[in-house]
Amino acid sequence: MTDVLPSEMTVIEDAERRGRTELWPFWRRVYAEGDPLPRFTPPADRPRQRFDEGDPLPDEYRSLLLKMLRHEGERAGNKSFLGFMATCLDLAEAIFPDATSRLIKAEYLAEELKHAIMFHRLAVGLERDFALKDVPYAHYAFHLPRETWADDAFFHFFVDLNGAFHARDWRESSYVPLAKMSATVERDELGHSEMGYYFLQRICADRRGKTLAQHLLGKWYPAALDMFGRSDSPNAPRFIGWGLKSVGNAEIRDAYKAYVNRKLVALGLDLPDERANRRFL
Amino acid sequence: MTDIVEEIRQAYGRVGIALDRPATYGTYYRLLCGGCGKMVGNVGDRLLPDMAAELVERQFELYATGLLGCPCGHQREATRLLDAGRWEAAQRRQGGTP
Repeated sequence: MTDVLPSEMTVIEDAERRGRTELWPFWRRVYAEGDPLPRFTPPADRPRQRFDEGDPLPDEYRSLLLKMLRHEGERAGNKSFLGFMATCLDLAEAIFPDATSRLIKAEYLAEELKHAIMFHRLAVGLERDFALKDVPYAHYAFHLPRETWADDAFFHFFVDLNGAFHARDWRESSYVPLAKMSATVERDELGHSEMGYYFLQRICADRRGKTLAQHLLGKWYPAALDMFGRSDSPNAPRFIGWGLKSVGNAEIRDAYKAYVNRKLVALGLDLPDERANRRFL
Repeated sequence: MTDIVEEIRQAYGRVGIALDRPATYGTYYRLLCGGCGKMVGNVGDRLLPDMAAELVERQFELYATGLLGCPCGHQREATRLLDAGRWEAAQRRQGGTP
């Protein structure tokens, strides 16, 4: 008999394994076909410094890291994040078309709550007061009305994919705890995006569904591109200089746009004008 | 109540959708059918100024043809009363039943 108790993450990993179905998690089939995401290469002259939990952090570094984590939001101690998860449950109850879709949505919520635990640990290791800080999502993409299953599918396809792209970039992060988490978060968020895409495939298989999706694309596409911020953001060079990001807003947005455009065309949808209804160019 | 929330309330009121009380710490609101009270969606309070009215306006045709809105048909009827000509044109485009 062993005296070694499983860690909390081991227990979660075991629970995830038992939750696997033919569909869930959606990332499995995608990664089985190769790396789905682009690689972001940091500038060659970037300083090589790395910081681990407990290391003294330069003031500007700490400030930028906290800014990034406030924006990310998936923390157990962030009641606005938990509130947002509750809206997903509301939608699952009210507008989802069948029991399978609701169950898939439940798996999504469970995985986001796993991230909330992971980011909670990171927050505690960084600054204890931050762990319980309530930070409502500031970007309008998190507040757009969701009035149909297609809205929700677009939300996941676009917004979770934004998370996957940022997590991919964190692989190169100079903050070691974030770099360690990045592969798991990237994989899961890409899976959530694929979940949304799976729903969109089903919706677009029907003429009226495709009409609806084409119309709603005009709402979600500009918001998705806007999520990367302004191309001339004065903060971007500071993030890159400290090793918290590898590339600027324009470069990561362009890579994201190429990825989503390819998938939207495969659905048979017409791409909107990329500058139409944009708020942050 | 913030100005944005009031904008959202007015924009949705035009098409027969009511804004419920805040669902979660005041950040997100349920959208309820003005006819039967069924939940038809949700929305957050950090939309940008004028965005709610623009979004609802762009969705007129979807409400008019029943692609959005409650199965009870309340939004379909609300949009017909709002602009009958536009409503009928939407039916013709989408192959709906006037």
